[in-house]
Amino acid sequence: MNRRTDLLVIGAGPAGLAAAVSARDCGLEVTLIDEQAAPGGQLFRNIESPLGQQALQARERAQGMELVRAFRASGAAYCPKTTIWGLEPGRVSCTLEGVPATLEASAIIVAPGAMERPVPFPGWTLPGVMGAGGADILLRSGGTLDKDPAAPVVLAGNGPLLLLLAGHLLQAGVKIVAWLDTGCWSQRLRALPLMPAAALDPAYLNKGVKMALQVLKGKIPLIRGVSDIRALGEGQLEQVSYRKRGKRYLLGAATLLRHEGIIPRTHILNSLRIEHHWDRVQRYWYPLLDQDGATSIAGLFLAGDAGYVHGGDASQLKGSMSGVAAARYLGVISKEEAADRSAAPRKQLQTMRISRGYLRHLFAPHPQLFKVPDETMVCRCECVTAGEIRKAVAEGCTEVNEVKLFSRCGMGPCQGRMCGPALAEITAAACSTGVESVGSLRIRQPFRPVSLENYCDLHHPLPDQQP
Amino acid sequence: MSTPLTTTTVRILFEGQELEVPAGISVAAAVAGYAHPGHTCKHPVDGSGRAPFCFMGVCFECLMEINGLPDVQSCLVTVEEGMQVRRQPLPESIKL
Ligand code: FES
Repeated sequence: MNRRTDLLVIGAGPAGLAAAVSARDCGLEVTLIDEQAAPGGQLFRNIESPLGQQALQARERAQGMELVRAFRASGAAYCPKTTIWGLEPGRVSCTLEGVPATLEASAIIVAPGAMERPVPFPGWTLPGVMGAGGADILLRSGGTLDKDPAAPVVLAGNGPLLLLLAGHLLQAGVKIVAWLDTGCWSQRLRALPLMPAAALDPAYLNKGVKMALQVLKGKIPLIRGVSDIRALGEGQLEQVSYRKRGKRYLLGAATLLRHEGIIPRTHILNSLRIEHHWDRVQRYWYPLLDQDGATSIAGLFLAGDAGYVHGGDASQLKGSMSGVAAARYLGVISKEEAADRSAAPRKQLQTMRISRGYLRHLFAPHPQLFKVPDETMVCRCECVTAGEIRKAVAEGCTEVNEVKLFSRCGMGPCQGRMCGPALAEITAAACSTGVESVGSLRIRQPFRPVSLENYCDLHHPLPDQQP
Repeated sequence: MSTPLTTTTVRILFEGQELEVPAGISVAAAVAGYAHPGHTCKHPVDGSGRAPFCFMGVCFECLMEINGLPDVQSCLVTVEEGMQVRRQPLPESIKL
């Protein structure tokens, strides 16, 4: 394959695919690399197979299929099953179907998407406890959550994805014994004044109402004002306990699915020291970008939910705009043509952002979400507890990277992806300050584990094996 | 989902047990969704049993042994006919 191209796109979700299509349309030579075996990302996972298609509502299915079709027809080179672990301006280090490779490009668009906000709680490492997003992928793979498809499932958390998952579970005939709502009502009320704007985007609103109705019709017992969730069991989840109005309750459960919203995946840009800002309502870091996704590094763009979570269709628009911006950066289209091509998606995106402004408050994470007991394992990789983090603070650490050095929290194979947000929140609370003041984990490249052999092949090749 | 699958299937072996699963899905989803094995790996630090959590390459809880190769992030590998999958054991050097 060609190891040098005009534009490299990383990620085959809605943003990456749209970016590749629009850049090709402007006349750029494009290579798209992605971790999965087929295009679609998380939202349109397996969209080229009947299995992936039937998991989606008609409108989304059509949208996803059309996007992937356009991508396949675009003439962009496509490298699936490729894990990237290094990135510098103009250059990417990756493992391409098991073989290490360096790819070069005049411009790069990164579109890693979003992930569920990991929230630790006692027992969350027990088999039977999963992220709701993970469970959704399981169902969309045609599998079941438990050997007995009617075994009791407990949902816990807050966020639109949980609503969507509940709909899928009901469709699959799963027995949901409770929905433990951890949302914050005082925050939710702040969404009210913003709600009228939602009328600008009726299709989206409709979808939300439909999902909510499904939950009610399925009569999922909704338990509000829940805190201090714990998973209990011997080697496997058996019970879920929670607190409500000072009293503790216990439920039998084979599966517990927790979801506390979606956050941008920031590892790649973080490793390049791109400036990030803190969203104090949604409580996550997001990179500083211009309106087309350009970063502070020339020729490096970011598209989609990894810049700020607005959802799949917004990601597609952001992708299109970044593709055009990359073409403009490389000088293949004029300023006027770029403005012309971006006008429609920009306008649509604006409407979407105004109409969905209320969601930011409606599904804001509860500020007390990370007030977990000392014995809670925060870092699943290195088995570091909340108590150890608090102890490091008591001994004088005031910044997350110091806490990391003292406690090993964030030093395992996931490189702080699962514990980073909680580490920062717990450290901040222990220091009686805000998350902005305790910083975020400094990510170093390689930002995914790579075998020493593969790493050396690329960076210190023997004279007879230049890559 | 409730509608019957019209998709092609492949057979893999998990701990010697044959599973027939849809083509195109990940090994983690195949094992967790069709074999329901409880844990799929023994954690090298605390020895506890763990199982896939995120199914999208973030958490590293899905490490399994695939075709004899240990430490494979199984949610990022697509099932293939005849694939041999095993739980990830504790490394021998580790005594708990
Ligand atoms: S299940 Fe999380 S990385 Fe594979």
